[in-house]
Amino acid sequence: MAAAPWICLLLPLASAVAITAAGTAIPRRVAGYISTVTTMGAFAAAVVAFVDMAGKSASHRSDATTSWTWLSAGPYHFGLTLLTDQLSIVMMLIVTGVSSLIIAYSIGYMDGEDEERRFFAYMSVFVFSMLLLVQGGNLLLLLAGWGMVGLSSYLLIGYYQERESAIQAAKKAFVMNAFGDATMALALFLLIQHTGKLDYAGVFAASPHGGAVANLIALGLLGGALAKSAQIPLHTWLPDAMEGPTPVSALIHAATMVTAGVYLIARCHPLFENAYVIADLAAGLGAATLLMAGLIALVQTDIKRVIAYSTMSQIGYMFVGAGLGTYPNAMFHLMTHAFFKALLFLAAGIAIHAVVGEQDIRKLAGVGKLMPFTKWVFLVGSLALVGIFPFAGFFSKDAIISAALDRGWYGDVIYVACLAGAFLTGVYAFRLFFIVFTGEPSAFAREHFHAHHGQEGPISMRWTVGVLGALSVVGGLIQFAPVWHLLSTWLAPVAAPIAEPTNTQEWITSGLAILIGLAGIGVAWAIYGAKRVRVPRSLTLFEKKFYWDELYDLLWYRTSDLVARGLYALVEAPLIGGSITAVTGVVGLGSRELSVAQNGLVRSYALALAGGLAVLAVVFLAVR
Amino acid sequence: MLTTALIAIPVAGALLIAIAPLSSYWLGSLAALISLVEIGVWITTAARFDFSSSSLQMDQRASWFSDLQVSWHVGQYRFSLWFVGMTVVAMAACTIYGWWAGRDRARAYFALMLLLTGAIVGVFVAQDLLLFYAFFEAMLIPLYVLIGVWGGSDRMRATITFVVYTVVGSLLMLAAIVVFGLQQGTFDMTRMGTSSSQWLFLGFVVAFAIKSPLFPLHGWLPVTYRESSAEVSAVLSGIVGKAGLYGLLRIAIPFFPQPVHDWRIVMLILGSVSLVYGSLLAFRAPDFRGVVMYSSLAQSGLIVLGLFASNSLGFDGAVLQIVNHALVSTALFLLAGMIERRTGTRGEFSLLGGMARGRPALATMIMTVGIISLAVPLSTTFAGEFLILAGVFQQGWLWAVIGGASMVLAAMYMLRAISAVLHQDVGPAVSENALDLRVGELAIVVPLVVCLVGLSAWPNLVSGRASAPTSSGWTQYAP
Repeated sequence: MAAAPWICLLLPLASAVAITAAGTAIPRRVAGYISTVTTMGAFAAAVVAFVDMAGKSASHRSDATTSWTWLSAGPYHFGLTLLTDQLSIVMMLIVTGVSSLIIAYSIGYMDGEDEERRFFAYMSVFVFSMLLLVQGGNLLLLLAGWGMVGLSSYLLIGYYQERESAIQAAKKAFVMNAFGDATMALALFLLIQHTGKLDYAGVFAASPHGGAVANLIALGLLGGALAKSAQIPLHTWLPDAMEGPTPVSALIHAATMVTAGVYLIARCHPLFENAYVIADLAAGLGAATLLMAGLIALVQTDIKRVIAYSTMSQIGYMFVGAGLGTYPNAMFHLMTHAFFKALLFLAAGIAIHAVVGEQDIRKLAGVGKLMPFTKWVFLVGSLALVGIFPFAGFFSKDAIISAALDRGWYGDVIYVACLAGAFLTGVYAFRLFFIVFTGEPSAFAREHFHAHHGQEGPISMRWTVGVLGALSVVGGLIQFAPVWHLLSTWLAPVAAPIAEPTNTQEWITSGLAILIGLAGIGVAWAIYGAKRVRVPRSLTLFEKKFYWDELYDLLWYRTSDLVARGLYALVEAPLIGGSITAVTGVVGLGSRELSVAQNGLVRSYALALAGGLAVLAVVFLAVR
Repeated sequence: MLTTALIAIPVAGALLIAIAPLSSYWLGSLAALISLVEIGVWITTAARFDFSSSSLQMDQRASWFSDLQVSWHVGQYRFSLWFVGMTVVAMAACTIYGWWAGRDRARAYFALMLLLTGAIVGVFVAQDLLLFYAFFEAMLIPLYVLIGVWGGSDRMRATITFVVYTVVGSLLMLAAIVVFGLQQGTFDMTRMGTSSSQWLFLGFVVAFAIKSPLFPLHGWLPVTYRESSAEVSAVLSGIVGKAGLYGLLRIAIPFFPQPVHDWRIVMLILGSVSLVYGSLLAFRAPDFRGVVMYSSLAQSGLIVLGLFASNSLGFDGAVLQIVNHALVSTALFLLAGMIERRTGTRGEFSLLGGMARGRPALATMIMTVGIISLAVPLSTTFAGEFLILAGVFQQGWLWAVIGGASMVLAAMYMLRAISAVLHQDVGPAVSENALDLRVGELAIVVPLVVCLVGLSAWPNLVSGRASAPTSSGWTQYAP
């Protein structure tokens, strides 16, 4: 069964290659079938690998296979290695499982787009990249997968190529993630320098404990995690990423890719345990993000952006869990979140699809009355998101929150932030639900709603949403922190938790979190459901999303632009002799005899060249 | 023999074309055939090459001017093999592009292209300094003509600029070679010892920095790359620039260990300045060629960082990146030419846009090469960049941080260029008549892309088979 992980990884790649190579030789719909079937095949391979692994004893479950040396230089060798262990198999199952459902859903959603083939080829590239990320057996392959998911994300956000906003959003996502890639690469350089290796076991054994180097390594990795998972301060790309088609938002920007940062911390937890300051920083940034995203979600009017901010907020919880060291619970929340957030996006997608692509909740208002199935699955997703018993979010979120009680005053602050976040979640999730799915349909919704052959959507869109709905109900049952711990036991050999709250703390937290979540729902009901309370005036600060975009625009884009223009005007054009007019201009300044220079092209260039040499000579002399 | 054959075949081909009584079309097809035969000979060489040995192979020596100790000495080290390989592949693509584009005065054009091929291969295999110099000059002369006759409207200015810069570089190099050779009593590079002369080192460095190019000696770049025809720009940026980097790698660094040690910081500064400066100007460039051109300056700076990292990570990474950039840059300039031909523009972004719709082949090629050129992880350019920066990191963290920042800048300028051509609103110069890539064009670009994708799956093919010998002056590169 050693081949199963390779089959799992390579099937989606084969699909992408096949769709690209076939081009117009296959009907558009067939591209969707190829992509779906191969992803399901990858899921089957992951299941086979899982069954195989479960049959072994806990200490023999980790298996690394190398196909060839991908890169080497001198004494350093980095292999194309797949590591299949308890952690990666969980991720493989989640990624391939959720991807299968969402790609199957896309067959209905994307039907009629004139570039469906491109869409499905990109989706397959994404699945391959994400699997490379989680299956890679060393940090270099992790980084390779890391960059490739960023690339797929770029391609899919910018799928609607002629839409200016989509292209801008795609570029923004790529550049911000390139920043994360760069900080990760720097961490890898440090590891190469200090350990000479990049494979996980070797790095963990040899990396320094504590001190500046350990902190910098963890910080570099964290930079990558923050960018990929859209946490403060590298989060601004995610809401804009909603420019992509809805299945893309569900798959990449909710269920899988954006949670990669959590996987990274769980995978590299020894490096973060060697640098507890950075681990605490991760938890703190997670807590800050979950509050900020919850606040912004309160005032958004685009249905997908509300869910996007909710994603940021929920990943904030996962970062709290991973940063505090309760890795199995962070992974658990990653899994349940994949179910219910994909459900929310896909259910929203059915509504958007039925109302001619409209995403503004004021126009969608009351559409739930026309589409009862969507309304009920959306309710299931919302309840799971808020964490109401017995839906999936209840089991996973509360376990993370209670872990904060194991960490002194810092943990207490985070604990309060997490509970406040639970309240915000209740408000924004049900604000959305009450506005869009209850009450009388708006004129716009009535006018534009069109049923699909008497149904709310094509069959491929309904059965997949149904499966995700079921998973959002029962998916949380594999672990209930105070009572049973299937997932924690399974993950213990690779990611044993370092924060262990007592059972009493778990019970109290669960009770509190439910009550607070219900309070949030109650507030939302009073304002948006029963309309007993007037809608509060929204804050400009929230609507401007805390001014992060403006800050980056000023700090990075405008600065680069200004520096580049300055360099061109002050260095390139006059000194380097990029343009003849500039050269003649310089010569002419002193003599006012432009003709001299114009007649003497060679002389001008000789001058420019001599100037360059003189600069060089001065540099050489000065620096020595 | 095979090494000599690699030089002789294109030169003989050039002579054959000069006299063959054929029409323009058949002269072009003959040149294309010869360039493909050249690739075949290189593959034969690679197949017979012993990669486990780091010493000089396939060498041939014949006395030439015995009283001056000058000899015809050619041969290949492991890294030379890759230099030759990228040359024959890129030159074949450019020659075939010239054929496809139907260049006028075909006899002279194709003879010059083949002569150029032979000369560049000679530069990379010469093991005698004067022979090296002869090939270096022989490489420049066809270029003067190719730029001056087949260039754009402002080609005279481009030619003069190019000539002035290269002549200065050549004179410096000639002076340094003569003095160095007389000091050593031989011009045979395999027999020469090291020197600690700062002036000789600087003479070589400046000559090679002009060719590479490096800031601030890149003044010939903008006008030359914009005014030359697309395939000549591809040769200049993809291959000829590499001759400068090869000179640093083969001459300036191994023979001058002490000056290298003393000047290392300066070289690293020049490399990083070129890297950041080129990236920033590429971000502002108003046309496609401008972006590719300044990104070449940036890549050249990056490779210099690798060469002066003075460790095997940096060296192997630099060789890999040289091969990568040769392929990427050739493909990008040829694509620039294809875009310009379809739109009747000179690649100005303000006139382009929306070309992806209805042109899937063009969009796929530009997207694939563009993405590889910005070093997305898992691509071979990423592998090269990673090794270089990991190597230079050991000289100091600052260099790698600058390199990391330039990774972000690369994403910014390349995505801007891709979007400006392919996406958003249809540009004023893009008409319905602008067709997708034709089969002939795909036959030129696709092999380059296949090489790049193949290398991305296995960059170790080059990086693991590039190390310099560990003897004498090469010790800085020893693992």
